[in-house]
Amino acid sequence: MKSGPGRAEPADTQSKAERHLEVAGVTKRFGSTVVLQDLSIAVGSSEFVSLLGPSGCGKTTLLRLIAGLLVPELGTISVGGRDLTRVAAHRRNIGVVFQNYALFPHLTVAENVAFGLKAQRVAKPEIEQRVREALALVRMESFGDRSVLALSGGQQQRIAVARAIVVKPSLLLLDEPFSALDRKLRETMQIELRHLLRELGITSIFVTHDQDEALVMSDRIAVMNEGRIEHLASPSEVYSRPRTLYVMEFVGQSTRIAGRVAASDRGTIAVDTPYGQISAAGSFAPNTNVVVGVRPEAILSGENADAGFNTIRAKLFDVVYFGPKTNLLFEAKAPADHLLMEIARLPQALTAGRDVALRWRIEDTMVFPAP
Amino acid sequence: MTTIATKSMATHAKERRTRFDSKALLALPGLLFMTVAFAVPVILLIIESFAGPQGPTLDGYRKVLADNYYVGIIWNSIKLALITTIATLLIGYPAAFALARARGVLQVVLFALIFLPLTVSIIVKTFGISIMMGRGGIINWLLINLGFIERPMRLVFTEFNLYFGMINVFLPFMILPLYSSMRMLDTRLADAAASLGAGPLYAFTRVTLPLTMPGVIAGVSLVFSITVASYVTPSLLIGDRFMTMSQVMAKAYLNIRDFQLGASMAVVMLVIASIIVVAASYLARAPKEGR
Amino acid sequence: MARVGMIFCWAMLTLVLIFLFAPIVIVVAVSFSPSTIFSFPPDGFSWRWYSAILSNEPLLTSVWLSAQVAFLATCASLTLGTLCAIAVVRGLVPAGKAIATFMASPLMLPGLVLGIAFLQAARGAGLRDAYTTLLIAHVVITMPFVMRTVLASLAHFDFAMVDAARTLGYSYPRALWKVLVPNILPGFVSGALFAFIASFDNYPVSIFLVDVRTKTLPIQLLNQLEMSPDPTVAAASALLILGTVVALIICDRLVGLRRMASI
Repeated sequence: MKSGPGRAEPADTQSKAERHLEVAGVTKRFGSTVVLQDLSIAVGSSEFVSLLGPSGCGKTTLLRLIAGLLVPELGTISVGGRDLTRVAAHRRNIGVVFQNYALFPHLTVAENVAFGLKAQRVAKPEIEQRVREALALVRMESFGDRSVLALSGGQQQRIAVARAIVVKPSLLLLDEPFSALDRKLRETMQIELRHLLRELGITSIFVTHDQDEALVMSDRIAVMNEGRIEHLASPSEVYSRPRTLYVMEFVGQSTRIAGRVAASDRGTIAVDTPYGQISAAGSFAPNTNVVVGVRPEAILSGENADAGFNTIRAKLFDVVYFGPKTNLLFEAKAPADHLLMEIARLPQALTAGRDVALRWRIEDTMVFPAP
Repeated sequence: MTTIATKSMATHAKERRTRFDSKALLALPGLLFMTVAFAVPVILLIIESFAGPQGPTLDGYRKVLADNYYVGIIWNSIKLALITTIATLLIGYPAAFALARARGVLQVVLFALIFLPLTVSIIVKTFGISIMMGRGGIINWLLINLGFIERPMRLVFTEFNLYFGMINVFLPFMILPLYSSMRMLDTRLADAAASLGAGPLYAFTRVTLPLTMPGVIAGVSLVFSITVASYVTPSLLIGDRFMTMSQVMAKAYLNIRDFQLGASMAVVMLVIASIIVVAASYLARAPKEGR
Repeated sequence: MARVGMIFCWAMLTLVLIFLFAPIVIVVAVSFSPSTIFSFPPDGFSWRWYSAILSNEPLLTSVWLSAQVAFLATCASLTLGTLCAIAVVRGLVPAGKAIATFMASPLMLPGLVLGIAFLQAARGAGLRDAYTTLLIAHVVITMPFVMRTVLASLAHFDFAMVDAARTLGYSYPRALWKVLVPNILPGFVSGALFAFIASFDNYPVSIFLVDVRTKTLPIQLLNQLEMSPDPTVAAASALLILGTVVALIICDRLVGLRRMASI
């Protein structure tokens, strides 16, 4: 299911569960700056969707709008069929895990977790039991009486999650919850959280600027740019068949070559580039300026007589070793071009300065209108 | 990894600044109250100082600034402030230095002891000082027993009494800012100066003193601006024998009811106090702009 | 020579402490003197002046009045000041820094000037009730103390906590109460303490606003000193000192004097 500006979803083709969260036509302004423009997105029940984009793209604003901490100028926000647009934040029952956790330093761990339950005036014995269960879920059972200030980053993060889920929210929002953790811990926590949320079946929206994180954790990714969703699809779809040039460049690495359409015939185009002619699927009129893209791991070196391949020639100028992989950088003939190839092991014959033939399957070629 | 920063951090910051939240109204009651209850009366006072029976006039200022009697009084206030400030600086500087060097519990206790007199009412302190100055008081007792004088002398309502009291009341106001800036002084700097061959006096004048200048400026401006306007201590300890601007103002309003005189004097006092504050903030900024 | 320098500094500190506490100690000593003469050293010990306080009606009334005014003024400036400080710290209002400076500026003016300004304005506005005028003036006087300490405390406060409390079920005002107030308590308490003391001890502003029936304690004490001086004043002063010390100790227990002093 794809969503984007100006595309209205036919309501009857989707079941209620698929539209557990529905954001429709939301516009948000700060003073004279428009941060979100006519944005729509629907998230299904128990789904995990990431909002991925650079700082300033509006992803945190969208999150805060859903939470009720901000009110949109236009548009509606509904959860479970209930219009929440004008409902105050404290009545939405939407859980939020904040970037720096926002734990209450004047309360113990258990009191932090019990906070939302107290607000709902749950009976004391029930509070104690639910707090215990929540702490067990995040594997922090023995920490109840501790001060939150004595916890490590990872521990604080888990308490923040426990606090948000103990109130059984209809939706869980997470604002870059792992950004303050170091890499190894981050990877562990990502997997842990994913399992936990899947087990509980909570619908989750996750904000991040780290595309690796989004790829690992999400059922679907919404790639955002300047207040708009450029592509909303599964991770593999976003990676292999990005909808726009921006998405291709933001998610993963890519080889990009600018060219002009020479010929177009029955869904296939031929693009002239300084490195050779490239074929791709697409329907652009001749003489259109386009950008051709390929994922670096799809590129192979050497000529091949098979018809299904695009072949170009380029001069190797740098080799970058990453451990499990090596990146080969080739000289670009135009300033906006970027020629990158990824391989597991460097063949001895390939040294800097050599003129190399590069090939890849025609169906792996992506074409976009030039910006 | 290619991250394309489309909206830069600058825009992000702009978003925060241009946000208008209904929560901005939080500031309103406080702001409104202070404007009505504080800004308006002060402005009215300034206007009042120009008010005459037939429209705006400078008569009040003419009286205050041209009449020798009143000029003498303004000079009294300034003299009082100058002497108090210099005295508290000379006494307070070494005391603050020792306080800043204290460690651990001792420092906390000493700090509390310097701080405590500030919380005691100025009337209580001034009262205590006037008792000390009586013929049977401790100052006379000390002077006699140390052999300086033979019979108790009259100390009350003298300038000695006044300055004794002023220094007593305002010493903490000088010590606290000095202490603040001395606490940040790196003791190793004096050691470094010594290792480079500087004698203690040289190290003091060339290293310690310049680095504590911000504290000195803060203390001096604070004490001067308060003492030039002080009322309770002068009127209790010396009364009419040493007229200050504050006493003139009080008399003008409470006794002779010459409101324009009082208002003009008040504005002069305001101007003097403001000059000190502005000069102090200018001086405090100048070293950072690179000499 | 540096050694001599340090000894000199410590000697000065000791002398300064003696000097600062001398009047206070003397007042307390005189309050126990059995005679009406203010002499030191005192020749005896007596509680008579303390019991004299109990029958001194004008004095007791003025204590009650000062306490009322100080308490109400402090509460008012705590509320107004904290709300304003929140708006300033969150960048919700334009020229926040200027507003904060404005709210704290009464402290920069000579008290006397303020008192005169209030008197004029009250008269001009036709406000004849001394109690009300006094109250309003004291809110203005106490505001700078609250603003300075609360602003400093808020600077260290993570407002995401208020958002967290809201998403967990508390409305904005209740969230502030449950999460903001407990965490800025040092600033709150020290601001409230300084504000209370400033109001209770205030002379320059109050002198212009009291009338025959409405006198605050400092005014009353001074009147008594002028008209019928006896050590009752010393006894009342000694009790005042005791009260201040007790208040400081309570604050230390609640919040920690070290934390307060650093703010």
